[in-house]
Amino acid sequence: MARWILLALLPVVAGISLAQSRRLAAIIGMGLFSLMLAATYLLMHAPDVAITEATIGAALVTAIYILAIRRTGRLTVVADEVPGLIAREGDHISGLEYEILAGFAKAQGLDLSIQFVPLRRVQWLVAHREADMGAGGIIPLPEADDVLATTPEHLPTGIYAFEPNAVRPSVAFAPDYEGYFSELVPRARDGTLASTVIALDLARVLAISRHGVSLKGLVRLEGNHAYAFILSRERTELRREYASYFERLRTSGQLEEMIGRHVQ
Amino acid sequence: MTAKTVRTILAIGIIAASVGLAAITYLLSFPDPDHSQRYLALQLEVTGSSNRVAGIYLNMRLFDTLLEILVFSVAVLGVRYYLSHASDVPTPSLSESGVVRIAVNFLGPLALLLSAFFALFGHLSPGGGFAAGVIAGSAMLYVAIAQGMEATEARLKPHRVATVEKAILLFVLCWVLLPVVLGRAPLTDLLPKGTAGQLMSGGSILPYNLLIGAKVFLGAWLIIAAFAQHRGEL
Repeated sequence: MARWILLALLPVVAGISLAQSRRLAAIIGMGLFSLMLAATYLLMHAPDVAITEATIGAALVTAIYILAIRRTGRLTVVADEVPGLIAREGDHISGLEYEILAGFAKAQGLDLSIQFVPLRRVQWLVAHREADMGAGGIIPLPEADDVLATTPEHLPTGIYAFEPNAVRPSVAFAPDYEGYFSELVPRARDGTLASTVIALDLARVLAISRHGVSLKGLVRLEGNHAYAFILSRERTELRREYASYFERLRTSGQLEEMIGRHVQ
Repeated sequence: MTAKTVRTILAIGIIAASVGLAAITYLLSFPDPDHSQRYLALQLEVTGSSNRVAGIYLNMRLFDTLLEILVFSVAVLGVRYYLSHASDVPTPSLSESGVVRIAVNFLGPLALLLSAFFALFGHLSPGGGFAAGVIAGSAMLYVAIAQGMEATEARLKPHRVATVEKAILLFVLCWVLLPVVLGRAPLTDLLPKGTAGQLMSGGSILPYNLLIGAKVFLGAWLIIAAFAQHRGEL
């Protein structure tokens, strides 16, 4: 009886797996199909075939498919934390940039994977194609970068520096400092911030100020600046898809709503 | 035609094909049921293996299995040859989450133990060299995903593994042809059958299972390493 139930369920599970838009869900469905098939073989008194089906179908093939979608089925974003834009709150991540990226990943049928890394590592990882996009309050400067491209700007902001001349003309992106953002507040308290920071942005300046730390000597740079995401110049299709998603977000008024929710 | 329509048509097609296949299988009987019964009746006496499946494919139909091993070897050679022309891709430095690493550290050794069990007891109970090799290969794949390719490759260096993998194939070929040197038919089992149910029984089936297990494991690892080196998949 159980054998017949399993046999009847096999095409159903196969159909459900095929109908999944998320690739990971489809692969899990295929793994389940293989396990059910292995159970069917076992009930048909063919344990050797069942073991082979389970090892190859459920374990090896599933792992190979997961490897195959590791880059294609996942939108890997690297960022340094910025409160209000993209930051951990307890066991989840929130912020304007996170919401934009989560919506984009969902629209593309991808799983969003956010990895927090030191700020200077963000550009390196995106340039070496180890991450799809870079986020975390990145401001494109007028000087174009050979390797990295930027997405349409999503929020106006300002650039701050202790030494305005130190923000060299060759630098393509702001802000610029050593390490993680979380290390800046202790440095500001110690008075060592100026030695490790070349440029900051409005969101970070506000976040540091909220800790009651004085940021004397910090000067706002002239010009209009705005936040954007970075991605490799070679990822033309991803750039195009993001631009079209962002246009929909902007024209539908959803972007305004998101900004209202996250930015006071 | 939209992607959703294509998916729906494919889903209906698969369900219809599955139902059709089940109906055909049910309606048709096997061409010669007595043939398989003869194999089963003779199996224990000829092979000394209490696992009938292993007794048939590693003794009575050893030639078929030999060709399967050769097919696998050609697959490994093919992957390594064609990928050797591709340029190296830097190994990604973004590591997996802690959950994956801890789960792999716990499950990896268990999978390797299960693999060893299947290879050692394949002539007594369900299992065998192919399943053992695939389990060990999958375990190493999961370890490589979690701990990184560089750390895993340091333990299993591909150039050494390739030498051992080819040596195993050569050894198996020599072993099946050794009876010819002794004036007997090729593929004749030279080892004693022993008492069925004992670990040392089934003639050459136990060594075959161990050799096939090792070969499939090392071959799977070579394929994984080649993909990681040239495609940057890990």
